[in-house]
Amino acid sequence: MRNDNHRIPLLEGRRVSKYFGGLAALNEVDFAVYPGEIVGLIGPNGSGKTTLFDCLSRVQDLSSGQVFFKGEEITHKKPYQVAHMGLARTFQVIRIYRKLTVLENMLLSRQWRGETLWRQLRPSHRQTEERAKELLHFLLLDRLMHEKAGNLSGGQQRLLEIGMALMPDPDLILLDEATSGINPTLIETIKDRIRALNREAKKTFLLIEHNIHFIGDLCSRVFVLNYGQKLAEGTPEEIVNNEAVIEAYFGADGGENDVE
Amino acid sequence: MDQFLQALINGVMLGGFYAVMVLGFSVIWGVMGVINLAHGELVMLGAYITWVLNKQFGWEPFAALVVVMPVMFVLGYILQRVLINRVVERPHLISLLVTFGLGIMLSNSVKLIYTADPRQTKTALSGFWRVGQITFPVTKTYILLAALIIMLLLYLFLQYTRTGKSIRAAAQNREAARIVGIEIHQVYAITFAICTALTGAAGMLISPTQAIFPFMGPPLTLKAFAITAMSGLGSIPGALMGGIVLGLVEVFIATYIPGIGTNLGIVSSFVLLVVVLVTRPQGLFGGLQPATEVR
Amino acid sequence: MKGLKQIWRQYRLNRWFLFLLLVGLFALPLPQFVAPERKLVTNSLLFSFTQMFMLITLASNWNLTGGFTGYVDFGHAVFFGLGAYGTGILMNKLGWPFWPAMVVGGMISAVFAVLIGSATLRLKGPYFSISMLGTFVAMREIVRVSKPLTGGGEGLTLPPYLNRPLFYYITLILAILVVTLIWWIRRTEFGATLIAIREDEIGAEMRGINTTLNKITAFWIAAFLSGLVGGLWAYQNTFIDPDVVFFESRTVELVMMTMLGGLGTVAGPVIGAAVIYWLRDVVWASFFQYHLLVEGALLIIIVLFVPEGIMGALGDDSSTSLGRIMRRWFRESPKEGVA
Repeated sequence: MRNDNHRIPLLEGRRVSKYFGGLAALNEVDFAVYPGEIVGLIGPNGSGKTTLFDCLSRVQDLSSGQVFFKGEEITHKKPYQVAHMGLARTFQVIRIYRKLTVLENMLLSRQWRGETLWRQLRPSHRQTEERAKELLHFLLLDRLMHEKAGNLSGGQQRLLEIGMALMPDPDLILLDEATSGINPTLIETIKDRIRALNREAKKTFLLIEHNIHFIGDLCSRVFVLNYGQKLAEGTPEEIVNNEAVIEAYFGADGGENDVE
Repeated sequence: MDQFLQALINGVMLGGFYAVMVLGFSVIWGVMGVINLAHGELVMLGAYITWVLNKQFGWEPFAALVVVMPVMFVLGYILQRVLINRVVERPHLISLLVTFGLGIMLSNSVKLIYTADPRQTKTALSGFWRVGQITFPVTKTYILLAALIIMLLLYLFLQYTRTGKSIRAAAQNREAARIVGIEIHQVYAITFAICTALTGAAGMLISPTQAIFPFMGPPLTLKAFAITAMSGLGSIPGALMGGIVLGLVEVFIATYIPGIGTNLGIVSSFVLLVVVLVTRPQGLFGGLQPATEVR
Repeated sequence: MKGLKQIWRQYRLNRWFLFLLLVGLFALPLPQFVAPERKLVTNSLLFSFTQMFMLITLASNWNLTGGFTGYVDFGHAVFFGLGAYGTGILMNKLGWPFWPAMVVGGMISAVFAVLIGSATLRLKGPYFSISMLGTFVAMREIVRVSKPLTGGGEGLTLPPYLNRPLFYYITLILAILVVTLIWWIRRTEFGATLIAIREDEIGAEMRGINTTLNKITAFWIAAFLSGLVGGLWAYQNTFIDPDVVFFESRTVELVMMTMLGGLGTVAGPVIGAAVIYWLRDVVWASFFQYHLLVEGALLIIIVLFVPEGIMGALGDDSSTSLGRIMRRWFRESPKEGVA
C-alpha cells in the first residue's frame, strides 16, 4: 500500500525557482510530498523555506518551474482554487481577521468549494458552526469565541490560525512555524492531534519548524534548504548526522554564500 | 512629417515641465511614504506667486523663481512641521485624506483672495524660432532649459551634499538611517521643503503657457501620479522619461484628434496610469513599491 | 470621552427612538397636503431633507467598498455621475419616462463598475484610490467631449417635475432600503467576507475565498445604488452638466462623512452624513464662500483626531449597534456566528 502511495505525490514541485531581482530565493528545487506523510522542512533563516511555501500554495508566482497537487498542475491557479482542492496553510507572520470575532474567523475559513455567491448571503450552516466550535474547544479557544481576534495573545492567534487551517477539512496542511510562541504543554497536544489526524483521517502535513524535537517526533522525512537549494533529504536521524547540514547550521559564516 | 516633428518637439517640451513637476511628488513619496494629494495645489501656489510678481511688480516670470522657490521652501517646511509630520509613517489613507483636505483649503483660499478667474503671466521671452518648417516656441524652449537646469541642480544636491545624502539614505532605509544617527524628522522637513520649492518652480514654469486658476491642481496631481507610476520613486532620469512619455502622448492626441484632443490629455494620463499599474506593478522602469504589497 | 460613552450606553438608540424617528420622517411632509396655505413645512426644508437622504445613501454605498472591503475609492462619484447622465440621456434624447430611465442609469453604473473594477480592484491601497480618482476625472472629460450624446459643456435639460414631497419620499425610502440592505449584508457571510478581505486579503484568498468575485460584487452593488441616486438627483435638479455632476469634492465629502460617523459600521455613514449635512446647511450656510475651506479643515481635523469616527469613539465598532436595534426590532434572538 505504502509503495503505491509513493508513486503519485500529493504535492510536487519541479525545478521551482523564485528570483527577487537578481537574488535567487529558490533555485530549481525539486520537491515531493506523498499522501499520508508528515514531512519537515528545515533550513537556516533566509534559506527560502517560507518562499517555497508561498510558491507551493500560490501566494507568490514562481519565476520558473511547476507545481502539482493531486496530480494536477496548479502553477497558474489562484490561491483560492488551490484551497478548494484541499490545500490549507498557516503563515509565519500571523494572518487573521483582527476585527472579526474568533468564531467568525473560523466560519470564514470553511470549505468554499463549489459554492455560489448567493450562498454567502445567508448565515453559516449549522454543521460549519458546530465544526468550528469543536475545533475551538480542542484548541482551548472556546471561551474566547466571541472575542475580537485582534485582542488575542500571540500564542492564541497562532492556535486560531491552526484552527482556521483545519477548518476546511483539507488533505494537505502546510504549517509555517506553527508552534512558535505556544506553551510547551499545548505543543504536545498539537503534536498528538497532528499524529491523530495523520493516522486516522489520513491527512498529510508539511511543516516548517525550528523545534527539532517536534520534527524528530513527527516527521518521517525531512528536507533541508540552504540558500534556496535543496541541501539534503532523509529521515530525521540521517539529517541530524548529515555533514552538510551541520555545516550549514553551525559552520557557515557570512563569507560562504557562494553556493553554486 | 512636419506636423509629426512639430508634435514631437512640443511633446518633449511639455515633458520637461512634467519632469520638474513630478519630482517633488515622487521624492516625497519615496522618502516619506506620503502621497501628496495637495501637489497640484502647490504647483498652483507657485504659479500664483509668479503671477502676482508679474502683474503687480512687472517681474519677468523666470526671474520670479528667485522669490518663488524660497517662499515655497519656507511654506513647505512649515507645512511639514505642522501637518505632514503627523501623518508620516501612518496608513496611506490618513495621509491621502489629510493632503486632500489641505489641497481643498489651499485652492479655496486662493479663490477667496484672487477669485476663480483664469490668469496668465506675460513674458518677454516670447515668439518663435523657425528652423525649416518647424517652429520652436521661445517660451517653451526656455521652460525646457530651466527644467533641465533645475533637475541638474537637484541631482548635484542629492549626490554631493551631506543633506542630499541623508535624504537618499532615508529613502532607502528609514530604520538604518535612524540608526546611523540621521535626524529623520529633520530630513523629512528638509525634503518636504525642497520638494515644495521644486513644485513651486514648476508652477512658475507653467504660468506663461497655460491659464492659471485656483482649481487647476487635481489634474496635475493625477498626472504626477501617472508619471510616478511609470518612472518609479524619486528617480530624476525616470521622471524625465516618464514626463516626456506623457507629454508626447498628450501632444500627439491633441494633434491628431482635432477638436476634442486637448480635452483628452487627462484621459490619456489616466489610461496610462491604469495600464501601467495593472500590467507592471513595479512601475514601467521598476522601483515602485509593488502595487500588490502596499501596506 | 468617558462621560459621553456612559450617556450613549444609557440612552442608546432604542427601537422606540428609531420607530419615532421613522414615523416623524414619514409624517414630515404631511402638512403640505393637509394645509398647504399655512406653509408649516416649506419646500426648501423638504429639499434639504431630500439632499440629506441622498448623501446618506451615497455614503452608505461608499462605505460598502471603502469601509467594509477596505478599498478606499476616491472616485465613487463617477457612479453617481453615470447614473445621472444615463437617466438624463434616456429622458432627454430618447424621451423615456423617469422610472425606467433611473433604473437603467443605475445599471449603466453597475456595468461600468464591473468593467473598471476588474482592472482597478487588482490594485492595492493608494494605487486603487488614485486610479479611481483618475477614472472620475477622466470620465468627466469623456462626458465633456462626447457632445452629441451628453450635450458636452452645455449640459442636458431634463423634463422639469418639481414635486418636492414626492422626491422627499422616494429618497427617504431609498435611504431606508439601502441602509437596511447594508445592515443585512453585514450580517451575512458575504459581509463578513468583505471585512475579512479588508483585514487580510492574502489570507482570505489562501483560505478559499474568491476575493476578486467578492470585491467586484460589493463594488457593483454600491455603484448601482449610487447610480440610482444620481438619476434621482438629475431629475430633481432638472439640469446636468459635467462640472455640476462630476463635482470635484463630492467623493471626498462621502469619505469625510463616513469617517466622521465610523468607517466600516452600518450606522456610521448615516450619522456622519446627517451631522455634516446639517452643519453645512445650518451653521455655515451664511458663510457660503468659506464653506469648502471649512470643509477641508474639517476633513483634516476628523482624520487626525477622530479617525475611528463617532461610532468608534462611542465604543461601537464594526459590530453594528444599528444591527442590534434592528434585530430586537424583529424580535430575533441575537444570533451567534456571522452577524
